[in-house]
Amino acid sequence: MHDPLATTLLTLILLLPFAGFLGVRMSSRQVAGPLAIVLTGIGLLLSGVVLVGTTGPAVPILAEWLNMSGVSIPIGFRYDGPTAIILVLAHFVALLVQIYSLSYLDADADKPRYFGYLQLFVGAKAGILLASNLIVMYAFWELVGLASYLLIGFWYEKPQAARAAQKAFLYNRVGDVGFLIGILLTYRIFGTVEFAQLTAEAPTVVGLLLFMGCMGKSAQFPLIGWLPDAMEGPTPVSALLHAATMVAAGIFLLARIHPLLSPDALVVIALIGTVTTLWGGYSALFQTDIKKVLAFSTVSQLGLMVAAMGTDNLNGGLFHLLTHAFFKAGLFLGAGAVIHALHTQDMRQMGGLRRSMPVTFWAYTICAAALAGVPFLSGFLSKESILAGAFAWASGQHSPLAYGIPVALLLSSGLTALYMARQVRLVFLGESHAPTQAHPHEPDRLLLGPVVLLAVLSAWVWFALNPLSAHGSWPDTLFSAGQLGQPVNPAAAAHIVPVWLAPLSIALVLLGGWLGFRLRDPAPDQLVVRASVQYGFLDEFLNWLVVKPVVRLAHGLYRADTRVVDGAVNGGGIGVVVLAHIASAVDRFGVDGVVNGGAWLANRLGGLTRSVGGGRVQSYITAAVVGLLLLIWWLV
Amino acid sequence: MLLSLLIFLPLVGALVIALLPDTLRPQFRLIALGVTVAELFISGLVYAAFDPANPGYQLLQQTDWITLALGSIGSVSIDYLVGIDGISLPLVILSAVVMLVGVVSSWNIVERQRAYFSLYLLLTGTVMGCFVALDFFLFFLFFEFMLLPMYFLIGLWGGPRREYASIKFFLYTLLGSVLILLVMIGLSMSVMDPVSTALATGLINSPELADTNIIRLVQAQLANGQIDPGQLVHTFDFRYLSDGGNYLPSAFLSVSGETLPLGIPARMLAFWAVFIGFAIKLPIVPLHTWLPDAHVEAPTPVSVVLAGVLLKIGGYGFLRIAWGFFPDGGAEYARVLAGLGVLSIIYGGLNALAQNDVKKMIAYSSVSHMGFVLLGVAALTPEGINGAIYQMVSHGVLSAMLFLIAGVVYDRTHDRRIDSYRGLNKTMPQYATLTTIAFFGSLGLPGFSGFVGELFTLMGSMQSAWLPGWFTAAATLGIALAAGYFLWTLQRMFFGPYWSRHEASALPDLTPRERLLLIPLGLLALVLGLFPNLIFDLTHASVGEWLKRFLVS
Repeated sequence: MHDPLATTLLTLILLLPFAGFLGVRMSSRQVAGPLAIVLTGIGLLLSGVVLVGTTGPAVPILAEWLNMSGVSIPIGFRYDGPTAIILVLAHFVALLVQIYSLSYLDADADKPRYFGYLQLFVGAKAGILLASNLIVMYAFWELVGLASYLLIGFWYEKPQAARAAQKAFLYNRVGDVGFLIGILLTYRIFGTVEFAQLTAEAPTVVGLLLFMGCMGKSAQFPLIGWLPDAMEGPTPVSALLHAATMVAAGIFLLARIHPLLSPDALVVIALIGTVTTLWGGYSALFQTDIKKVLAFSTVSQLGLMVAAMGTDNLNGGLFHLLTHAFFKAGLFLGAGAVIHALHTQDMRQMGGLRRSMPVTFWAYTICAAALAGVPFLSGFLSKESILAGAFAWASGQHSPLAYGIPVALLLSSGLTALYMARQVRLVFLGESHAPTQAHPHEPDRLLLGPVVLLAVLSAWVWFALNPLSAHGSWPDTLFSAGQLGQPVNPAAAAHIVPVWLAPLSIALVLLGGWLGFRLRDPAPDQLVVRASVQYGFLDEFLNWLVVKPVVRLAHGLYRADTRVVDGAVNGGGIGVVVLAHIASAVDRFGVDGVVNGGAWLANRLGGLTRSVGGGRVQSYITAAVVGLLLLIWWLV
Repeated sequence: MLLSLLIFLPLVGALVIALLPDTLRPQFRLIALGVTVAELFISGLVYAAFDPANPGYQLLQQTDWITLALGSIGSVSIDYLVGIDGISLPLVILSAVVMLVGVVSSWNIVERQRAYFSLYLLLTGTVMGCFVALDFFLFFLFFEFMLLPMYFLIGLWGGPRREYASIKFFLYTLLGSVLILLVMIGLSMSVMDPVSTALATGLINSPELADTNIIRLVQAQLANGQIDPGQLVHTFDFRYLSDGGNYLPSAFLSVSGETLPLGIPARMLAFWAVFIGFAIKLPIVPLHTWLPDAHVEAPTPVSVVLAGVLLKIGGYGFLRIAWGFFPDGGAEYARVLAGLGVLSIIYGGLNALAQNDVKKMIAYSSVSHMGFVLLGVAALTPEGINGAIYQMVSHGVLSAMLFLIAGVVYDRTHDRRIDSYRGLNKTMPQYATLTTIAFFGSLGLPGFSGFVGELFTLMGSMQSAWLPGWFTAAATLGIALAAGYFLWTLQRMFFGPYWSRHEASALPDLTPRERLLLIPLGLLALVLGLFPNLIFDLTHASVGEWLKRFLVS
């Protein structure tokens, strides 16, 4: 793809949304939505054209962003398999979400702001995908954080929304501090930040610092808490940013920096991914807010992807990113339809919606089944690939403890089936618990269309012909194209799947699903429920460990600043003034006294000589000499 | 000529305003505006005349000013010498921009307009003088003269505790001046002007003949003690002060560093003295406590000028004088100095987090951001030094914007407490948008200038052979703190349902004049952030030359 045409198209894909951000922001209420949709549609078309029209990976350099004293940071594109697929994916989901938003936010007066922010997000996300080096990626990475901040806080008059926006940005910043230190260290070690040249292993700590970027953006343990809170944003935003695309940026980052990661760093990454997937799965279990269940399930699935990356299974992780984007966006948009119909997010006030909203019900259930990993749906394919990779990885490790990771991932997929079945039961099955005046009904086409389409796209057939294995499928081939570095999990790449894996995981999914449909929640005040709802008290713990001490330190330092540092200055000032007064007193009574005494003496002497000699000149001279002598005597 | 114009035009303007009859009072601010616009134009001409590829001083103008015969130790020559290089040019342009912004934001000053605008122009001229003077004596003169208008501008037009703040500002800076003065005298006694000395010894008979060989010859003679001390011409010329060859071997501050008061080489003491002198100005923790008070009491335009320009003289002094004349000090104490930078970043950030006064929050954020300047300078790498200069320019633009923003609510209600306002986004959407831009720009969002300054100072310190990596890591925490205090302020003041201690009618959205100030500054921060080479193209040749002295020592 060294042809200038493709480069031009990619430039357009990158710049169009930024221009759109300004244009849409300034347009009127009626125009904003359609304009944004057209722009994203063009972006989708262009990314499709580039995807089909290109043959292999390429790294065209556009311009020097900066060149100074031997430091050069070019702005260039790195276009390879993962970029190609995720670029199309991001535009596609963004397009659907914006179409959906036309109806969902119909009543909102501030549509230019909303669609403008979405354009900003699309542009920033494209920047992350296309960046050819770490620093430019970091720049767009932060811009994505800004878009997320603005969109979560879109309803800024809700204090929870404003708080959630701030929390999201700060959690991401914490991760980004590590990311930035990692980038600076990478630059120090390799003298470059271009992905194309970062092909050797870096020290473990550098890899882990870079991984911190992923921990923030992809809500990995312990930086989980911002993602459930981000649900305060409009539901379509949750679908696009906080489920399908933005949070997946961390996975993409891991694919980009994979050659830098040492085996030890990978083990840590796999562990954090595993902890996250279990943590998120357990937290989703007893939530009562329909969106929070989905949020924690996103956390859990992101953990699964991270674990895949940690077990050297890049294709598996990226594949799950792809399939997950469709069914999770479908679930969020479906949940939005339910919220739209009932004006509540509390699942305890739902139930029985399968009768009043049958299309939504079926679409939602298909997406939920895909998420749970039911065969013949896309989620099964990608999960199977991750699990197979993890078992293959564990067999290559020296310690049998390594099997803990694939076993935990297997358990987590059972957990997924459990909480999704519970959600479908609470929302759609059984009797209605809605207030009597509520008359839920099927949403309009703008809302329903995207949901149905996403459900359809959750079938296996779009991704691989074989419903039980993704081996040799088109995403598999594309993801491998132009991947950086060699050390991928050979077993995972060859798709060596133990024969017992598929039956076992299907059995677990069925068991989880059955339990989810059958079991009733324990009382809400029980510890197992509270621990789940408050995601293991992680927020309380971090508040206690970090937030409160920092705030206390800040106030303590400020007190110290005014009392001690400034106090010393003022004290010094007062001291000088006191000293000055003492000096002045000494001056008046001591020094001046001596001088006056001297003058008096001189006067007397002068008078004496005058009276004696009667001559004027002599007496003055004498007085002057005596005075001078006295002065010298006093000085010496 | 251009540079002299930059200095004297405002001084003449100040004089004119002081002498005009009272009937022309409404014209005073117009004169000030005209002068600052002209300053911006002239600085544009300077920019056009500047050759970025040339690392040396340019647009030089030199006139003999004072020559004192000192008998047996020769004579001392003080010149009126001005010129710029890549280090000072960005700061000159920044000053022109910020001074213009300051005048426009002074538009509503009603009390004692004559004195105000007269002092303001005096300040403008002296600030310009500081950045273009290349003779230490001349520099010091401007440096001292800057205090006077600043003292009165805070002391007469300030808030309730203005006397306290202005005296504190004055004494603090005076203390720094005394230290700088001592070192200045020491330096001039220790350094000769090779050209004039060659003339005095009869080696050459015209200054034009002084080429590199002659200078080397004179320096060799000096080193070998072949020059009669009575024929030595001492100098304050920056160009000679930064060349180790011009130092008298037996002098107090000689490069051999044999004089040891308190067991420390005199040069190191001198380095610390000038460092402290300029660190007060920057300011660096723990010499910063004048800054919050001065900012809180100063009227908005004076805060803008103080943060936008005056602090930068500290950073400029580091580069030109402290590190420039004592590279051995900068190299010897790189760790301690960078450590002070890191301390400022973290300490300033944490203090900003604790504030309930918008202006104080911004003042402490300045302390934090100036810490990056010290860190970058102390790193002694091209990235660090260029980044430090860039950070000064960037902070000049963004802090001007921030203080204007603080001024907006203060003008309306005389209340700067953050908890007096909630949900302003609803009633003052333009104000909220521009505040968001300024805050995100300041917290280092890519696309705005703050990001580039922080990235390059951090990169520089990470690359530095003098500094351990964890210094940089600790400094990077500063960007998380910045996100903390800026976003928290944003959330408390602008989001949530609308509420205020004051009538909603007292809080109208931005006036056209406020927009005229804030929007261009925001755009400037954006342009600099997107095209950082606008600055780096100017600086990097001079910085490369500047860094060479550290390779030798």
